[in-house]
Amino acid sequence: MKFVCNDCQRVMEFRDNTPGQGGGSMAIRYICPGCNRSISMVTNPGETQVVRSLGVTIGHEAIAHTPEPMAMIREALAEQKPAASVPAGPDPVWTETALRRLNAAPGFVQGMIRRLYDDYARQKGYAEITPAVMNEARDALGMSEM
Amino acid sequence: MQPQSGILDQVLAQRQRVTERLAHVKHVVAVMSGKGGVGKSALTANLAVALGMRGRSVGVLDADIHGPSAAAMLGARGQTVEIGQDGARPAIGVANVSVMSMDLFLDGEDTPVIWKHPGGLASDTYVWRGTLEANVLREFLGDTAWGALDFLLIDMPPGADRFETLMRFIPDLSGGLVITIPSRVSHQVVRRAIQSARMVEAPLLGLVENMAGLTDPESGAIRELYPDGDGEKFAAELAIPYLGSVPFDPRLARDTDAGRPFVLNYSQSPAGEAIQRLARTIEEVVR
Repeated sequence: MKFVCNDCQRVMEFRDNTPGQGGGSMAIRYICPGCNRSISMVTNPGETQVVRSLGVTIGHEAIAHTPEPMAMIREALAEQKPAASVPAGPDPVWTETALRRLNAAPGFVQGMIRRLYDDYARQKGYAEITPAVMNEARDALGMSEM
Repeated sequence: MQPQSGILDQVLAQRQRVTERLAHVKHVVAVMSGKGGVGKSALTANLAVALGMRGRSVGVLDADIHGPSAAAMLGARGQTVEIGQDGARPAIGVANVSVMSMDLFLDGEDTPVIWKHPGGLASDTYVWRGTLEANVLREFLGDTAWGALDFLLIDMPPGADRFETLMRFIPDLSGGLVITIPSRVSHQVVRRAIQSARMVEAPLLGLVENMAGLTDPESGAIRELYPDGDGEKFAAELAIPYLGSVPFDPRLARDTDAGRPFVLNYSQSPAGEAIQRLARTIEEVVR
């Protein structure tokens, strides 16, 4: 869709968009590059929701913007628990003795246990997981049986 | 050149993210049935664990947005989706099965999936809900940091329409695993679901007959549960490979509901052996 300034006979350019009073509506402003006259097109909430349900962002602020993972779900869900952040830092390296101890745990829970130790090491800034780090994490996280 | 939202480019980028993410997954299998209540989710969870027990790295994507159950069945309920640089980290269930489910986003056991409809009428949601829920599936596929997987099992909701959506996102799907039970009503609905899948040229791995008899936990004897059972004959009628049957075992329902997939603890039972046989068969048919 394009808008033409009747006085200048020039195609109006997109300027910005702002949420409208209706919550789901949106005012999209265009401006004539010749005379600076501006107009606003106001969408109705239904139209805005149809476009947003595609999981895309609208308006030039969004250009070159890569959405966060699961952004659409988190934006659209009325009731939800807050997402957590993966602790920053590189994957810690497991020493052989630490790995042996991990492998002594029942196989069906090893993945869960490993993640707990990995996250603990990242939070603490440890590059390596040793039996000593496992002991420390076990005490800190209250995992007495692991 | 004036700035534009580039909605088409954004949609293409979304598809590209799915393709890139699934490039590290060897086989994507959609576990489907036109009918609800055939034990599809419990079978998916147990199949995932059986594949895990065979040393495969497995993920389960719970595509049942309004009735998510995979996280609970795989002992991952209560975990939270964690956002990292590489995407959203899935929950880890028993046997190291990765899980992504709407359940992980919801706060509390009773919280329903309700979408915001800012400014609009609640009655207008039918206009955009289908598109939005298709895009939930797209975000689950493209934004989850699955890592390298041997199998990604997608637990499809009842009904055939979501399968068509899935095919749009994953054109090179390994195939659909069709679950039925030995009842005439289930056969009727499954027949329609298969027809729908064929209309979108979806590959179908084969048919599995669930609840094919009732196992007595004490003796291991299998009694008749439904009078109309003959999965093999039904598969032949549909011209689809028959992959096997799984008898019902009351312990399967009890343990899987409690987040302890049955096959882990009862691998020697008739149902446990059938599930493991099915896992081996699936490995063979996707090869």
